[in-house]
Amino acid sequence: MNGMARITLKGLWAHKRRLVGTSLAVFIGIAFLSGTLVLGDTLRANFDSLFTSANAGTDAVVRSTVKLEADGGRGPDREQRGTVPVALADRLRALPGVAAAAPSIEGYGQLVGADGKPVGAAGPPRLAGNWIDDPALNPYRLVAGRAPQADDEVVVNKGAADAGKLHVGSRTTVQTPDPVPVTVVGIATFGGADGFGSSTFTAFTLHGAEIHVAARPDQASSISLKAAPGVTQDELVATIRPVLGDGVEALTGKQFTSESIDTLGQRFLNVFTTFLTVFAGIALLVASFSIYNTFSILVAQRSRESALLRALGAARRQIVTSVVVEALVVGLAASAAGLVGGVLIAGLLKGLFDAFGFSLPAGGLVFSGGTAVVGMVVGTVVTLVAGVVPAVRASRIPPLAALREHAAEAAGVSVARVVAGAAVTGLGVVVVLAAVLGHGGSVLALAGLGAVLTIVGVVVLGPLAARPAAAMAHRPLRRFRGVTGGLAGQNAMRNPRRTSGAAAALMVGVGVVTLFTVFAASLKTSVGNSVTKSFGGDLVVNKGGFGPGGFSPQLAGQVAALPVVRAAVGIGQGVAAVDGRGRALTVADTAVLDTMLDLDVRQGSVATLGADQVAVSQKEADARKWTLGTPVPMQFVQGGNATLTVGAIYKTADVVGDYLVSRAAWAPHAAQDLDTRVLVDLRPSVGLVAGKASVEEVTAGVGGATVQDRKEYAASVSSGVNTFLGIVYVLLLLAILIALMGIANTMSLAIHERSRELGLLRAVGLTRSQVRSMVRWESVIIALFGTAGGLGLGVFLGWALVQAASSGEALTFAAPVGQLVVVLLAGAVAGVLAALRPARRAARLDILSAIAAP
Amino acid sequence: MTTTTTATRVAARAVHATKVYGAGSTEVRALDDVTVDLPGAMFTAVMGPSGSGKSTLMHCVAGLDSLTSGQVFIGTQELGALSDKALTLVRREQVGFVFQSFNLVPTLSALENITLPLDLAGAKPDRDWLDHVIATVGLGDRLRHRPSELSGGQQQRVAVARALASRPAIVFADEPTGNLDSRAGAEILGFMAAAVRDMGQTVVMVTHDPVAASAADQVVFLADGRVVDHLAAPTPETVLDRMKAITG
Repeated sequence: MNGMARITLKGLWAHKRRLVGTSLAVFIGIAFLSGTLVLGDTLRANFDSLFTSANAGTDAVVRSTVKLEADGGRGPDREQRGTVPVALADRLRALPGVAAAAPSIEGYGQLVGADGKPVGAAGPPRLAGNWIDDPALNPYRLVAGRAPQADDEVVVNKGAADAGKLHVGSRTTVQTPDPVPVTVVGIATFGGADGFGSSTFTAFTLHGAEIHVAARPDQASSISLKAAPGVTQDELVATIRPVLGDGVEALTGKQFTSESIDTLGQRFLNVFTTFLTVFAGIALLVASFSIYNTFSILVAQRSRESALLRALGAARRQIVTSVVVEALVVGLAASAAGLVGGVLIAGLLKGLFDAFGFSLPAGGLVFSGGTAVVGMVVGTVVTLVAGVVPAVRASRIPPLAALREHAAEAAGVSVARVVAGAAVTGLGVVVVLAAVLGHGGSVLALAGLGAVLTIVGVVVLGPLAARPAAAMAHRPLRRFRGVTGGLAGQNAMRNPRRTSGAAAALMVGVGVVTLFTVFAASLKTSVGNSVTKSFGGDLVVNKGGFGPGGFSPQLAGQVAALPVVRAAVGIGQGVAAVDGRGRALTVADTAVLDTMLDLDVRQGSVATLGADQVAVSQKEADARKWTLGTPVPMQFVQGGNATLTVGAIYKTADVVGDYLVSRAAWAPHAAQDLDTRVLVDLRPSVGLVAGKASVEEVTAGVGGATVQDRKEYAASVSSGVNTFLGIVYVLLLLAILIALMGIANTMSLAIHERSRELGLLRAVGLTRSQVRSMVRWESVIIALFGTAGGLGLGVFLGWALVQAASSGEALTFAAPVGQLVVVLLAGAVAGVLAALRPARRAARLDILSAIAAP
Repeated sequence: MTTTTTATRVAARAVHATKVYGAGSTEVRALDDVTVDLPGAMFTAVMGPSGSGKSTLMHCVAGLDSLTSGQVFIGTQELGALSDKALTLVRREQVGFVFQSFNLVPTLSALENITLPLDLAGAKPDRDWLDHVIATVGLGDRLRHRPSELSGGQQQRVAVARALASRPAIVFADEPTGNLDSRAGAEILGFMAAAVRDMGQTVVMVTHDPVAASAADQVVFLADGRVVDHLAAPTPETVLDRMKAITG
């Protein structure tokens, strides 16, 4: 080992306590990143094995080629596929090479438990279908009882049976959505588990499913086939393909499985992991600020040692190399530890999503080689880059200058920095404003670019603001906290670069928090405003929750028949393709709807909308250049294609979306007819409480139906925003935590550096509690500086984002003052917390050895 | 140990003071049963070769370090019985310090450094006394400057003024001229002598410089942790002779 390496390693060992702080920042960032990757891999693997085992015995699947996917709609049934005739199964079964062919019917079915309450309402999917007798084609296995034989007999999965306290012989109801009285004759498991994830499944006989679940009595969702011995899946598909006819396709079992997995991957997993990766990225960005600052201080503190080495003949490159080695060791060690932490984080994240109501399938965590490589590389590179820049800068100080007592790091703000910072900030603000004023699809990307530039610029300019900001805090502190407050303020001012460096990480974290808070508040205010404005009714029966489901269209009639109710209208969802792209349709009795919702109709009439007409939003009409009477060709999954003409154009699309059709227009295309909401108007003499109670009597037994007044309904429309915001806050908490550790680390290093001064202050009469208070206040100043900067940045960028996003829909900017004040106070408290350990260490300094410190 | 000026009060006292560092084979007796009175209104120099225990004695008497056995008093207050907080208060109110390496707070101006012990105590400075001290050390026009803008001699003058500002019972000076050229050193010694002569202050100075020691009213000699000699009205020559006797 050469001399330089020995010095490096000894230095590393001597500074191990200080490096713990740096390592922690890398550790948390990498733990988050690898946790995200582990969770993604785990989910992918679990879904893979789930689908593979579900389809294990299926050699081919026959289904309709008609598939519609609604985008931009509010409905939960985003994807719908056409059906195939049940009778096709008989023809296929007769073909050579086909051992078995079973029609499969899938739909919505809400099981009612022994207590009369819906099982698993407002949560996971609630499915109903037919029991397939051939065990090769049925992923479910009976564990009790027998298969259904009559139309009113069902098998339920074990999880649902347990939750609803149902057993073989129980009599209950399944809402599909019309209530069907049934007897439970069997309990089944899915691949050894109690069910497919946490969904519920109720299986009728084929005939029972045709009557109660299927879109049309003679239609099935798909047909599953088993090949005869010696016939491969490909041969099977080749055999049956000629008899299928138009609009029907055949896939091998393997293709079907991998397609299911891919669809899920694209639809859900990729979005999910991208979402998490963005937050891991923010955490790493914040971590890199902390690391950069720590290394700047470490290098500065060692500048005398480095200068001595240089005076003794060490080359500049050797000095830099020693820091590089140090950063490398820290990066590698912390990244490796981060990978271990990632497995824990993956478990925690899973719990977090469960807690917010997104249940993910269970199973062992999958730790792939890719995760290890990404974690190690990212962690090490981030640490290296953040560590080497200050080292190179410090190595430029002439050795003799560094050997003098007060050399250390340059505390001033260079002109180049001011110019560069101002230029980048200015450019960022200009780009953001251009996005605010601009139109078109690239506006959001432009706003994002501007936001990044602004953040970078503000971080570069930070030191310029740090001194005046600290001076501002210094005056009141000096007045109210006396000499300790004054010293704290001056300590914060003495090196503005360091103060702003420590605050930068917090600023970015708080900035993102504020951005989301402002955006969410604006969204909620806008949605709430427009719902309250457009919806004139008193109550809403809402299906609530995620996933498909709803209730019978008859419910609206039952509610309307109540003596307390003046009028009630059910709102359902449908899908149709317009120009080949799927669109969500709102289905309602438009004559009644018009009396209850103020749609701000601009042209035509919603009330008199005919069976061959469609009402569209102003936005959609403008985009497609439609006017009254324009023919709109539509493709449906059921009942073929139809051309409707535009019968009305309305402005307010918050409740009904872009397309609205009457029940008469929808009837030929309806599959399982579900309403997701019923709007209710009470008679003028009826009080809200009494009216709500009456309506609740009718809806009590209906799965997942909750009765809400206007305020509750407006809140529930935007409740997705709250859930999303909750998850975002928890994820950003990690970034904030890293930022706080950065401040704590800076304070610890500053205390180490000033130990002589602290010893002196103690010698001349500063008590221990005064030392603690001094350190605490300095930390509070740094934290408040970062928090205030982040708030300013976040509100500005949030405003810009709202303006940029509202160039189609009207979004109102709303800054939630209360929440932002809470953020500011939390920043101050965080400063106190970050100072806990450094303050304790400062107070414990031994006076004599502190004074003797070099 | 007897004192030559029994008429004056005793500002500080060590009684059978023993300080042991380490244990077993690495045991070092920095102070070995030292009993000494430091009389008030007098300038006392503590001399001795390196390792004689002179700095340890000062640190213990000043309440910066604790004894292994024995007692130290500031006035009539025994320090061994005090908590850290009470010790801090004793230092703040009754003791002043001058260090070899100035030890000023770099972020504070000269004036703020001078009034720092008073500010820490939350006490109002006695304006007349403060003006008098500042006039004595001759800093009138440099009070707004930061330590980095002052020469070494000026910094040490600030340190002396700081030590005197709270009108302490006793000022301890640890090699105050060690980092200064002879002219600046002589000035500092002159100020401390003036503080004793004109203001009735008590100053105890640790030094190994015979010229500095000769500025004091009396010199106490230490060697191997024990008081070995004592000299009143010293001159550089007499101090040097005694030192030679000790080390030789």
